[in-house]
Amino acid sequence: MSLSARGAAKSDIAVEFRDVSRRFTLYHERRNSFQDWFIGLIRPRGRSEAFWALREVSFTVGWGESLGVLGRNGAGKSTLLKLVTRILEPTAGEIVLHGDTHAMLELGAGFHPELSGRDNVYLNGSIYGHDRQTMAERIDAIVQFAELEQFIDTPVKHYSSGMFMRLGFAIAVHMDPEILVVDEVLAVGDANFQAKSHRALHQLKAQGTTILFVSHNAEQVRSFCDKAILLENGRLIDSGQVNDVVDHYERLLAGASETMELMRLRALDSQGRTSETVAPGEDIEIEALMRVPDEGIPDDVALGLDLYDQDGAHLFGRSSRVPPDLSLNQVDGGNLATARGRIHKLPLREGELRLVATLQRTGGDDQILGRRETVISVRSSGISTERGMLHLDHEWNWSADGRVSSEQTGPRKGK
Amino acid sequence: MVSPAFEILRYRSLLRNLVAKDLKVRYKNSALGFVWSLLNPLLLMLVFTFVFTQLLDQGIPDYPVFVLTALLPWTWTASAIAIGTGSLIDNAPLINKVYFPRYLLPVSVVLSTGMNFVLGLPALFLLMATFDRPFTQWMLYIPVIVAVQGIFLMALVLFLAPLHVHLRDTMVVVDVGITAWFFLTPILYSVEMVVPDLAAWMYRVNPMAAIVAEYRTILYEGGVPDPLFMGRTGVTSLILLGLAYLFFQRLNRNIGEHL
Repeated sequence: MSLSARGAAKSDIAVEFRDVSRRFTLYHERRNSFQDWFIGLIRPRGRSEAFWALREVSFTVGWGESLGVLGRNGAGKSTLLKLVTRILEPTAGEIVLHGDTHAMLELGAGFHPELSGRDNVYLNGSIYGHDRQTMAERIDAIVQFAELEQFIDTPVKHYSSGMFMRLGFAIAVHMDPEILVVDEVLAVGDANFQAKSHRALHQLKAQGTTILFVSHNAEQVRSFCDKAILLENGRLIDSGQVNDVVDHYERLLAGASETMELMRLRALDSQGRTSETVAPGEDIEIEALMRVPDEGIPDDVALGLDLYDQDGAHLFGRSSRVPPDLSLNQVDGGNLATARGRIHKLPLREGELRLVATLQRTGGDDQILGRRETVISVRSSGISTERGMLHLDHEWNWSADGRVSSEQTGPRKGK
Repeated sequence: MVSPAFEILRYRSLLRNLVAKDLKVRYKNSALGFVWSLLNPLLLMLVFTFVFTQLLDQGIPDYPVFVLTALLPWTWTASAIAIGTGSLIDNAPLINKVYFPRYLLPVSVVLSTGMNFVLGLPALFLLMATFDRPFTQWMLYIPVIVAVQGIFLMALVLFLAPLHVHLRDTMVVVDVGITAWFFLTPILYSVEMVVPDLAAWMYRVNPMAAIVAEYRTILYEGGVPDPLFMGRTGVTSLILLGLAYLFFQRLNRNIGEHL
């Protein structure tokens, strides 16, 4: 593996993989002690198995490009990341990096719990080769970005996980990396933090930082990257413009789900018609339509339903196994099965409500077979006297002059 | 391939921060802080003085100075090896998440424990003054001995730390080894008391014997150090360091897999 010194003549290429392979040895009996080692003298090789996490992968990333790395679990994405960041070395092939590489594999990696936030900023900076002076110039911006002005001299062991991640992210975006590797860090933090980190990454991209972005989320990759590569079983099976590759990835996911597919998700009103609005405190009925293969419903599939508000906050989620004896409708496209769910007395006030249904395998690899979403708006039908985020089923009992009058909740009580 | 010299230059502030972190963290939660690292050899000194002047009288004058001149550098060796051997495993989360030259971890342990040693020297000087031992111009030679010992310790931890990653009971052997080494090094006794044939062997196979003897010659006897002798130990240590570095880089290639 070679790394050209910073300031050396630069080509148009930032990252280049040439026939890179990486093998892992899986030991069934690990030799980790002298005892095992002596046993090994008598019984030569412990059982081991070579496993190729990456096979002959070649690609290049130009300066200022952002490359999405797609693939299912176990396709080799993490190995590729660790090779780019030099945490691992390739078994065969060559990796050429023409710049400083900075990885965001885990926010706050390398923080020492006993040290203050400030000391950790300096320590973290020096891990990436920045001296004290450089970090001193940037620390104010980092602290401000992380919104930790009051806590920067507190040992990080007292930080909440949110504070910890904010500081880690703030350091990462203030390092002026030439090549940045991002591993789904946007999936963490509250909605506010996600929006902020998203903006920061877009800004880095605009400044010409080369970005490698690894995600399961096809839409995130589509919106953020120019180009993409697709890995499958350690091999590179597609590369090119982001939309083409993401389409291929989605086809791959769909093809892999020859077992079952999620066709449609909708919310229904009380007459069974598609509904786009619901009033606070009303029931919502949700319908998911699934395509079932001729062999019937496999017994390791679960349907998940998740609710998010307009800021992306996760309100509720639940997965249930799809019963194998569900009744089927035979149509042209195959067999269809319908699942209906009901949320009683929606405890939310005005706003957008995003419903996400996920059809997923439960047999260990949690492979996603399909995902659909729909947005409905929560709106009161009349003038509302309520405030706040939640609609609670409530009641006042007024007691005056010994008489009790009661005023109950919501406009639809009289229905 | 980046040359190690270029790399260490680029990462010098990481080395400094790792040393500072070691020192800060070690004393963070103890009330006495740095005093502890000094108290340990001082208390041992009292015990050994009692044993070797009251229980067994060896007739060594000013025994507290005699033993502390050897005990302080020995404490550096023992703590550098004990902490340095585990330094890669202790920092496994960091190693698996970020790239930086891994050898900085064991090297920083040698430097931070070395800082403790240097900070303990004034206590030794105070003891020397109390017992009216001579202060000579040869004490200016001390930094050279410190450097030789530092290089020797780096060679040791660069060898032991990756070995410990691959064979987890290295630490157990190291613990026993340190105790045995303590008695096989002229700390409680002087080289002159050793059977002459064995004393020659001791110098040949045990660099710590030569290092401790030099500290003692200068600080206890107020004598002239033997430059040739130190030169030999210095060259040996440098060769060991080179070999240990190659060994480290070789074992380090796939270290992430084993942590």
